[in-house]
Amino acid sequence: MSVEIDTSAFTEEAYELLSELEASLLELEESPDDQDLIGRVFRAMHTIKGSGAMFGFDEVAEFTHEVETIFDMARNKTISVSKTLIDLTLAARDQIRSMLDAAAGGEPADKNNAQKIIQGLRALAPGAGGAPKDSGGGSAKKPPAQASVDEPHVYRVRIKPNQDIFANGTNPLLLLGELRDIGEDCQIIAQYEGLPPLEKLDPEQCYTSWEVFLTTKQSENAIRDVFIFVDDQCELNIRLLDREEVLGNDVQKLGNILVQRGDIKEEVLEQALKPIGDRLVESGVVSSSQVKAALAEQNAIKAKRDKKVQAESATSVRVPSEKLDGLVDLVGELVTVQARLNQTASTRQDHDLQLIAEEVERLTGELRDNTMSIRMLAIGTTFNKFKRLVRDLSTELGKQIEMTTEGADTELDKTVIDQLNDPLVHIIRNSIDHGIETPDVRIAHGKNPQGLVHLSAIHSGASVLIRVEDDGKGLDPNALTRKAIEKGHLPPDAQLTDKEAFMLIFGAGFSMAEKITNVSGRGVGMDVVRRSIDALRGSIEVASELGKGTTITLKLPLTLAIIEGLLVKVADELFVLPLAAVEECVELSRTDIANAHNRHVINVRDEIVPYIRIRDRFDIPGEAPEIEQIVISDVDSKRTGFVVDSVIGQHQTVIKSLGKNFEHSEEFSGATILGDGTVALILDLSKMVRYVEAEEEDLSESVAA
Amino acid sequence: MGKKIMTVDDSSSVRQMVGLTLKGAGYDVVEAVDGQDALTKLKAAPVDMVVTDLNMPNMDGITLIKELRALPNYKFIPIVMLTTESQAGRKQEGKSAGATGWIVKPFKPPQLLDVIKKVLG
Amino acid sequence: MSVEGINEPTQFLTFHLGNEVFAVEIARVREVLEYTKVTKVPRTPDFMLGVINLRGSVVPLVDMRAKFSMPQTKATVNTCFIIMEVLNEEGGQTVVGAMADSVREVFELQPDNVEKPPKIGTKLRADYLRGMGKHEGKFIMILDTDKIFSAHELRSIQQGQGADAD
Repeated sequence: MSVEIDTSAFTEEAYELLSELEASLLELEESPDDQDLIGRVFRAMHTIKGSGAMFGFDEVAEFTHEVETIFDMARNKTISVSKTLIDLTLAARDQIRSMLDAAAGGEPADKNNAQKIIQGLRALAPGAGGAPKDSGGGSAKKPPAQASVDEPHVYRVRIKPNQDIFANGTNPLLLLGELRDIGEDCQIIAQYEGLPPLEKLDPEQCYTSWEVFLTTKQSENAIRDVFIFVDDQCELNIRLLDREEVLGNDVQKLGNILVQRGDIKEEVLEQALKPIGDRLVESGVVSSSQVKAALAEQNAIKAKRDKKVQAESATSVRVPSEKLDGLVDLVGELVTVQARLNQTASTRQDHDLQLIAEEVERLTGELRDNTMSIRMLAIGTTFNKFKRLVRDLSTELGKQIEMTTEGADTELDKTVIDQLNDPLVHIIRNSIDHGIETPDVRIAHGKNPQGLVHLSAIHSGASVLIRVEDDGKGLDPNALTRKAIEKGHLPPDAQLTDKEAFMLIFGAGFSMAEKITNVSGRGVGMDVVRRSIDALRGSIEVASELGKGTTITLKLPLTLAIIEGLLVKVADELFVLPLAAVEECVELSRTDIANAHNRHVINVRDEIVPYIRIRDRFDIPGEAPEIEQIVISDVDSKRTGFVVDSVIGQHQTVIKSLGKNFEHSEEFSGATILGDGTVALILDLSKMVRYVEAEEEDLSESVAA
Repeated sequence: MGKKIMTVDDSSSVRQMVGLTLKGAGYDVVEAVDGQDALTKLKAAPVDMVVTDLNMPNMDGITLIKELRALPNYKFIPIVMLTTESQAGRKQEGKSAGATGWIVKPFKPPQLLDVIKKVLG
Repeated sequence: MSVEGINEPTQFLTFHLGNEVFAVEIARVREVLEYTKVTKVPRTPDFMLGVINLRGSVVPLVDMRAKFSMPQTKATVNTCFIIMEVLNEEGGQTVVGAMADSVREVFELQPDNVEKPPKIGTKLRADYLRGMGKHEGKFIMILDTDKIFSAHELRSIQQGQGADAD
């Protein structure tokens, strides 16, 4: 029978193992004597090799075997864990990865590179030189059986199992059955002379032996094959009989021999089972308190290791992303329908129904929270990926950089994490390339020659703040402004606050680099970063001090699919604002408008807050009411108001995409379906503000011209 | 046949392959990711046979075999270990620890089934 | 004398826009809805009426009269939305609704009765038509819905529209 083997199970697992392998290697570099880590590295390669061979990835298996062999030496302390070993193993890891990619339809892996790595590894072995492929011991592959003969022959097979043969799960009856299966005729005679009297009989011991007369066309080897596993646990005697030979009974008295052979003195057994501490104390080698102290130490280390290991291998289930997405969609729909249920229940004034609706609301909320949390992953894995990046980049650029992290167990929605990867890479590259200075420059400035890049993640309300902090040379707001003016992004007399100047680095085509390195300078990275963060409905903030360093903070929503919204009304139309951004609601009367002399601002506790009139912005026909409401929100760190007719209230908003057709309608981040079935548009406050600002600029320019 | 076999391996691809092969032949399968996990699961439900890898974190195969043999319920069940060619010494170690037999990786499904039949019947 | 893509007897749904009758392949029609409330998406072209809620999905709605530069008219009790599947270039599919004054009937046309659309003489852009169907003595314009309702067509540029607001 053939079983359809799905190789994706192997490749998925292999990629994961390669990530873990990389992380372990980097850790090992810091603590080269940690046997635990060495073991982990070894095991990872061992698994890849074994599974690779099983799933037909022979090249990968062979290559990994080489690496594993050398690492095994590190495990036995035959060689030490050196930087060279780590470098080579890291290179090997990359090679394995490209082999896997090649198998998945990518470019073929570089065979020369593979050879170089293997040679480098072999050179590390003591007395190295052309280490042959490990021939290993005998394998369980059946040796080619001799060709069966035409005529059946009779064999006498004497089987005398060791008394303790049961102890390793062998069932002699199965062996007999197998013998029977290979022959045309089989006579089995049990010999139980070795059986002791009942009171001495140990049911866990085998006292029986057998003589089997087997008629078969198969060879003697076929018979021996039956006993492959018990080769050393029983006496086996096979003899080809001539037809004429008499079935003599020259079986020895096995009884005595068995008893003798199987004899283990009771006391010896017990001694072997006693804990080593007690035995040492008894023999007077150490005092019992010394043993106690050592035990305590052992327990402490073990407990720590157990905890660490447990945390890493907690039981988990693999779920395909599509299934999870499907679940999230369903939960979203449930939330929508539940809102309708609520609405209907309250309009109907049916008390019983309302109670039930409340219960459903509670359950739906929990279900939603649960589902969302399933999609949450710790950002630690992403952070760890960057360790390698930082290491390689700093080597490439001749800088010394250390990367530290904080809040690695902060959780984010899986999709957000996936899409964060590239932007973070850009930002870190920037820090390393442009931010952190070379060691001599740093020393000249009285800084530690080793630069620091610090990644941190922390929950803040309904968002997550991800920070990339470096202690490099910082940003010069004046230089940035000058460059922007030079490039025509800003008018010549532009005056920017430091914060605004820092944001210039995200402009398209903007780069402060004097020369273009392999890493950056093309001015392509940062504006893509901004767009990616926008797409995630997040925001970016930059803080910097010249000479001291720069901090880039990404603020991201915890979840993409459902947000807490504030439902507002303008004329007959309903809109939703993200509640997380909303700070307060203030009344706007005609008098207030008049007082502002046609500028769209309002005075709130002595603070001037600009606002956008939604009615005007969206050309909604009709007259505004006497008193309107301003929803003041935090938009890109600026307080901005949005004028509506009325604020309806909080609304759990399931975000539905507007689709490709409305791609250009950037001021709307999506739509949602309300309890009564109508569609309300969700506003993207940041985009709205940006558009208005851009238009006002154009307007003022055209007026000035 | 209704017999239950436990497969212990830290590699999920191996577990998958073994599991599929065994299920296809009519056995019930329980999976464990290492020795520790295996012992925990065995407390919950008994099995008729164990197939275990040797190199695993938390508790390796040899230790698992020893632990199993120390449990009254599992003293005599067939235990087969998965080894690789280069571990000839381990085979002996495994046998001494109480393993019934072994299968060498890489193996093809029919080979696995042959061994199972041999020690389980 | 038949048209590319119509090689076997095909069923069509016809509908009215003013005095004109148009046809679309029934295979592309998911359902026909009664006129319901439409949420207008601000700052979009006139022919984009907005979006509607179709059993939990947000579906865009197109005013075909506006798309074909016909004069606007008030909705009547017969006004309805034809919900259609539109294939896009990358092979994916979107659902779009089109507003019609009223639907007529469904009938089958033989490939022989479908001719290539004329280059001139109709008020519509030539590429909006798949062909002309002959039915009961009259000619009916068969629309190329994939083209008319393609994302490219519907998106248009409305950036410019906002500049004179305020």
